[in-house]
Amino acid sequence: MSISEILREVDLPHPPEHVWRAFASSAELAAWLMPNDFTPEVGAEFTFRTDPAPGFDGIVHCEVLEFDPPRMWQISWVAGKVDTVLTITLAPAPGGTRLRLSHAGFGAGSLLPRVILGMGWKRKVLWKLEDWLREEG
Amino acid sequence: MKQEDPFKALADPTRRAIMDRLRDGPCNVSDLTEVLPISQSAVSQQLGVLRAAGLVSQQKDGTRRIYSVDGAGFSQVRDWVGSYETFWDDGLDRLRAHLGKGRN
Repeated sequence: MSISEILREVDLPHPPEHVWRAFASSAELAAWLMPNDFTPEVGAEFTFRTDPAPGFDGIVHCEVLEFDPPRMWQISWVAGKVDTVLTITLAPAPGGTRLRLSHAGFGAGSLLPRVILGMGWKRKVLWKLEDWLREEG
Repeated sequence: MKQEDPFKALADPTRRAIMDRLRDGPCNVSDLTEVLPISQSAVSQQLGVLRAAGLVSQQKDGTRRIYSVDGAGFSQVRDWVGSYETFWDDGLDRLRAHLGKGRN
């Protein structure tokens, strides 16, 4: 098991456009994941709320990093001591969609700027994240 | 020894590289210096941080010091990752059920 990344791949019997809808609004995300105040806009900050646990107040702090329907959905995911990035990619597959989930960066906060540079992301987002990383210390 | 947060200790790529090497088996500072692009004293310093975080333990073999992965701090990190594995397996099951319901 990698100590820094969780990977899952599942095939779903629906077209990517249909699967995407489950990630495209606050109400849809709440229906299968957690209550949240998500807005579908790159740079938007939001939270997921769940039950507290030891070392975790139950609030997941997120920022939309990528919103590219119906292909790529990416958010930062900061919960307790966990500084991570969650990436969902959808690709057409025979009979539906292949969904790939990557939850990366456990104990690896400094990976973020490298990931972003590697993907050629917008400078604005990068600066924002660097500020955020500095604040988080 | 000052206590370090294992999550913060692992936020550094060099320290993660040391952990990756130690997960293959115990080694000494020279072994680690060979596979890393940093000096022996830098390796020793990073090992100090990893030890303070409870991620690495040290044994003496004559005059040599042998380093290996320590269960305590490492299992704290592993437990976090493990709980998220379960979380996402359940989450994807719920997503599948949700998509089935919402089918037009």
